[in-house]
Amino acid sequence: MAGRTGWPEGWFDTPCLAADAPAQDVSPLPGNHRLDQVAAGQVLLAELGCANCHSGLPAQALAPKRGPNLAEVGSRVSPEYLQRYLADPTAVHRGTSMPDVLGGRAPAERQAIATALTHFLIARGTAPFRSEVAETPDRDLGRRLYHTVGCVACHGSRDPAPQAGPQPATPRPEPAAGDQPNDAEVEDDAENADGPPTQRVFRPIALGLAHIVTKYSETSLAEFLHEPLAVRSSGRMPDLKLTTDESRALAQYLLGADPPPATRPVAPLSPDPRQVAQGERYFRELHCGNCHALPGIDAAPAVGGALQPTAASQGCLQPQAGGPVRYDLDDAQRQALVAALQHLDQAETDAEAVAKTLVAQRCIACHVRDDYGGVHPDVDPLFTTTEPNLGDEGRLPPPLTLLGAKLQPTWLKKVLFDGESVRPYLGVRMPQYGVDNLGHLPALLARTDTLPAVDWTIPSPERDSDREREREFRKAGHALLGNQGLYCIACHNFNGKEAPVNRGMELTSSYQRLQPAWFNAFLRNPQQFRPRIIMPQSWANGVASHKTILDGDTDRQIQAIWYYLSLGTSAADPPGLKGIDTRLTVGTRARIHRGRSRVAGYRGIAVGFPDQLHYAFNAETGTLSALWRGGFVSANWSGQGSGDFQPAAEPVLLAQDVSLLKRDSPADPWPLLPVMTKENRANPNPLYPKNLGYQFLGYRVDHDGVPTFRYRLGDIEVSDRSVPGGTERGAQLERRLQLESGEPQTVWFRALTGEISQPAEGVYESGRLRLTVPLPADRIQLRSIDADPPRSELLLRLELPQGTSHLELIYEPLPRK
Amino acid sequence: MNRCRESKGGWCRRLRLACLGLLLGCAGWLPTPLVRGEEVGDRWGTEEREREYYPIVSIPLPTETVIESGAFAVLPDNRVAVGTRRGEIYFIDGLDAAKPQPVFRRFAEGLDEIFGLAWHDGALRVTQSCELTRVSDEDGDGVADRFDTLSDAWGYANYHEYAFGSPPDAQGNQFIALGLSESYNSYALFRGFVLQVGADGRTTAVASGLRSPGGIGPDEHGALFYIESQGPWNCSCSLKSVSAGSFQGHPASFNWYPFAPEMGEVPALPKSGTRIVTERRRVPQLTPYAVIFPYIRMGRSITGFRVNRTQGRFGPFENQLFLGDYTLSILMRATTEQINGVWQGACYPFREGLSTGILNVEFTPGGKLLCGGTNRGWPVRGIKPFALERVEWNGRMPFEIERITIEPDGFRLKFTKPVAVESAGESATYGLTAFTHPYHGGYGGPEIDRFTAEVTGVTVAEDRLSARIQVDRLKPGFVYEFDLAPLRSADGEPLLHRQAYYTVNEIPVP
Repeated sequence: MAGRTGWPEGWFDTPCLAADAPAQDVSPLPGNHRLDQVAAGQVLLAELGCANCHSGLPAQALAPKRGPNLAEVGSRVSPEYLQRYLADPTAVHRGTSMPDVLGGRAPAERQAIATALTHFLIARGTAPFRSEVAETPDRDLGRRLYHTVGCVACHGSRDPAPQAGPQPATPRPEPAAGDQPNDAEVEDDAENADGPPTQRVFRPIALGLAHIVTKYSETSLAEFLHEPLAVRSSGRMPDLKLTTDESRALAQYLLGADPPPATRPVAPLSPDPRQVAQGERYFRELHCGNCHALPGIDAAPAVGGALQPTAASQGCLQPQAGGPVRYDLDDAQRQALVAALQHLDQAETDAEAVAKTLVAQRCIACHVRDDYGGVHPDVDPLFTTTEPNLGDEGRLPPPLTLLGAKLQPTWLKKVLFDGESVRPYLGVRMPQYGVDNLGHLPALLARTDTLPAVDWTIPSPERDSDREREREFRKAGHALLGNQGLYCIACHNFNGKEAPVNRGMELTSSYQRLQPAWFNAFLRNPQQFRPRIIMPQSWANGVASHKTILDGDTDRQIQAIWYYLSLGTSAADPPGLKGIDTRLTVGTRARIHRGRSRVAGYRGIAVGFPDQLHYAFNAETGTLSALWRGGFVSANWSGQGSGDFQPAAEPVLLAQDVSLLKRDSPADPWPLLPVMTKENRANPNPLYPKNLGYQFLGYRVDHDGVPTFRYRLGDIEVSDRSVPGGTERGAQLERRLQLESGEPQTVWFRALTGEISQPAEGVYESGRLRLTVPLPADRIQLRSIDADPPRSELLLRLELPQGTSHLELIYEPLPRK
Repeated sequence: MNRCRESKGGWCRRLRLACLGLLLGCAGWLPTPLVRGEEVGDRWGTEEREREYYPIVSIPLPTETVIESGAFAVLPDNRVAVGTRRGEIYFIDGLDAAKPQPVFRRFAEGLDEIFGLAWHDGALRVTQSCELTRVSDEDGDGVADRFDTLSDAWGYANYHEYAFGSPPDAQGNQFIALGLSESYNSYALFRGFVLQVGADGRTTAVASGLRSPGGIGPDEHGALFYIESQGPWNCSCSLKSVSAGSFQGHPASFNWYPFAPEMGEVPALPKSGTRIVTERRRVPQLTPYAVIFPYIRMGRSITGFRVNRTQGRFGPFENQLFLGDYTLSILMRATTEQINGVWQGACYPFREGLSTGILNVEFTPGGKLLCGGTNRGWPVRGIKPFALERVEWNGRMPFEIERITIEPDGFRLKFTKPVAVESAGESATYGLTAFTHPYHGGYGGPEIDRFTAEVTGVTVAEDRLSARIQVDRLKPGFVYEFDLAPLRSADGEPLLHRQAYYTVNEIPVP
């Protein structure tokens, strides 16, 4: 125990003071907190879990911190570490808040107790500790995550130099030359003391991680990082929304490439029954269960008796070794605790309760509230953004000043407890602390944070008298948000669509997130709330900069915007917003897209090929109805769009009537798709072409993604497959129909319509399509349909044998004439 | 809820954009009517208390695609399949994890708006707008390669012709609910019908008279029901019973009876401006709304439903229907019972504050309620363009009206927790009013003929988990609206939701 000088890596991290630094200037807590000595002592009372053993503590909103859940500590923590740690906690993990409860015992006895406890705890678990390491660790990802998602706010950077990233929009004060971060003092510059919080110099929160290398395995650390609250219910290590892959990569990074040879791999420990029994006795005697959850072990309330106002550091607080329970505290911390104990009756105000909560849960490591909190300059460059033009608003977590007046209570809970977040551009993540630890905060904030209420009556469809106002406000809101108005959507995403300039915060959620009074105050003067925000002041001194909409009336303009946002996602897009690009592309395999289309009917199917030659198939009639070269299709998924498709290039169109037919009277006209008119919208022949024997059967897809369509004509089953071919890539489409017939019979295939010419034997052209038909001339009938303009149809007579036969056709789109 | 009541007079203007079925689109291609922003109605105001019992967990989605869930199915290996409006099907693994990080694997793509999904006989049955398809993976590589058309025996040629598919029944039959053309007419074959598709694909007509369905499937008793949207001949959204040869109230689809001889004679044309309770007597095929969801208070476009068979893992509401609302991003419950051969029942508020318009729900193998949808195309309160969320029971018992059933002289109310006899035994605790709707061809409609029903007697059960109330007037065709504001549980708690709505079609004979 000798030689320890406090908790240099811990919460209560004491700076290595310059010799001449006056002791009273040293804060007992790191971070830009501004708590006075009594309040800081009260935070310490909670952090040390004093109430877990003592009664008579001051009533405060902050619950006493619990130790880790020990149910599965045997699989989570290396047995070797566990034994070492229990024998001398602060020597092994500098900065731990676990007290040394073996004070005054001889070294050999300490070792014996630690060994017995280790056996006991391992025996209580269901799985052993395994120290396996991954064969292909992703430490780069882990390193990036560590320096991006927010770990650095409480653990500091682990890189020699800060990551390259956007610099703060405003230069931050640098520590005096030659100062190391830990040399910085709480308030070393009286002139700065009342300045904006980010300009004050304060000690960073820098919780040490040196111990974890011998403590965890990759797996157990990854599991802990994935769900830290499952083990540490007090949420001081919050859940950073890491995925399992991220947790693993971060664990691999934190444990490093070279585990200390003395400690790894760890031999499994088989619990010895005698040691286990002994350990359980110690566990109960030492009241470990007062801070740690372990099934079957109950806490012994107030085992330490009532705390009394005390003038000197006594009991757990005594500075020298030797007492039964000893916390390793520095003088400032001890004095703060003593101060807190001297003010046990002092009632806590709501503002103090909020401040103490934000300090204890380290919200202040990222957020500013009023005159306290904020990112430490050491790690400030590690707060990054995907939208650098948004400045600090785009990379730093939002201030918490007036939070209770800003957010709707339901939304605040969604952010705190359901993981909602609306700033996708932030590199840092808003972690989750658990409802048990921050559950008291929303009600406190609702009391502490207030703004004068606004007297707004938003138009309501429930009131007939509002109809005119509703229309007026809707129109005005639409215009103000758009590019002929204040152009809010230049920098705010709107209803899932990206803003054209900077992709700032989504606007359509505003009404559900924000309170109207805050919205009103913020719009009138954004810089009052965020001094460096890039949002323009559109109503400076209450005067509207846009003079025509709603006659330049500031109140009505702001209300109109609020009203428009109240429409939520149903609000029409303001002018100037980009549409959603829903062009479908084809990768290395063929691609199928079903949907209605003017080129293939409602039961249309588009087939795209990597060769950039594509076709459409009308499944209702079994007809290849269009083909085109170039891009594939765009699918309509905006508004109510049902995915209806348009070829991405101008297609060659074919007839969409049924194309395979049994004909009793070959002289009869080909049966065409029924026609619906504006006057007669109902289908006059609703069974067409099922009443001609056609039935679509579906399709199979091969390994290249190419479909083979299947359909039936009476008793004939057809497999219909088309692929790009020809000497030039994607020059032509080769279609092959395989027909299975139970008996020899004649069927007709309508191959082409339009103004058909025949440039060569078996070659026909109509418009921009050349069709090659490898059939003898006597099987091909070119029949006129119309004289003016001249139109004809190319009919192929197929003499099917019993069994399988084939028809092969080559479609070649021709360049525009 | 008072403000909602005040809103009754505004129905005729609010109705223009509400349900999935109400936009009059242009008849041509690519009909994308402009969405006009619209207020979607008041909240229940219970979200903060609901979350104490039924928290909502957001399911992380893959970033490379858009999951606008239209249908769900639980697979034999306990994965959950989701079919989307954009025609993709994903198999999702790990939905039940405490902190879900599910793995999405794409099974199929390129389909046409999926509103029905079921695993049957080694393959997925997929209801697309164009057809019912059996989708399978023949080569076993985890990706569908075979798409067999089971039935496309309906016309599909106009805007708004959605198709919703039920899970298969014991014989492998599925039922397809077909919305009207442009949501008002029936221009294409069998629009406005329910069709039955056998395991072999044989397709027959079962019911006519649908307007704009939002889901179809069995209730807790195995009887077939579908969801109807507010609109012409439907003043509120409702749950309706589907029996063979039934007519569901909207006569636009009568023109297809010649193509469905199994339906029998064309029903008599209903008279607009009447009451369904009287028209039922004149038009024997006419099926009354089994459960009316009073417009706006209980949704504006209710959607797909599932029966809770989680054996208590989802809390106290075993064997009840759970369903969402697209516009209001809420979840509700419903119960059904058959009285004198006619189905009727009640609906109850359950959870508000979901993030997007709910199109469908499914219970996960772990007993949690998966909810998904989109906000695309119609007004939605939820703020996300699309989302997948999991509602789960945290083990705390909410104080709720568990179920209301009818008695010859009143109702029986079951509660989830013992009630305080002082409040439960008082007649004044049971605020009870009744209203009916006109049955007419106009769009939507008011709540009319409202009266206050007097509670003339109360008997609290010995276990204090239920109460029987006698009511002075029980009238068929009326919705009884319960407001139990004064009721307290034995431990002094007010109801989480004090309202419930029972639709009376028949009164049991003592």
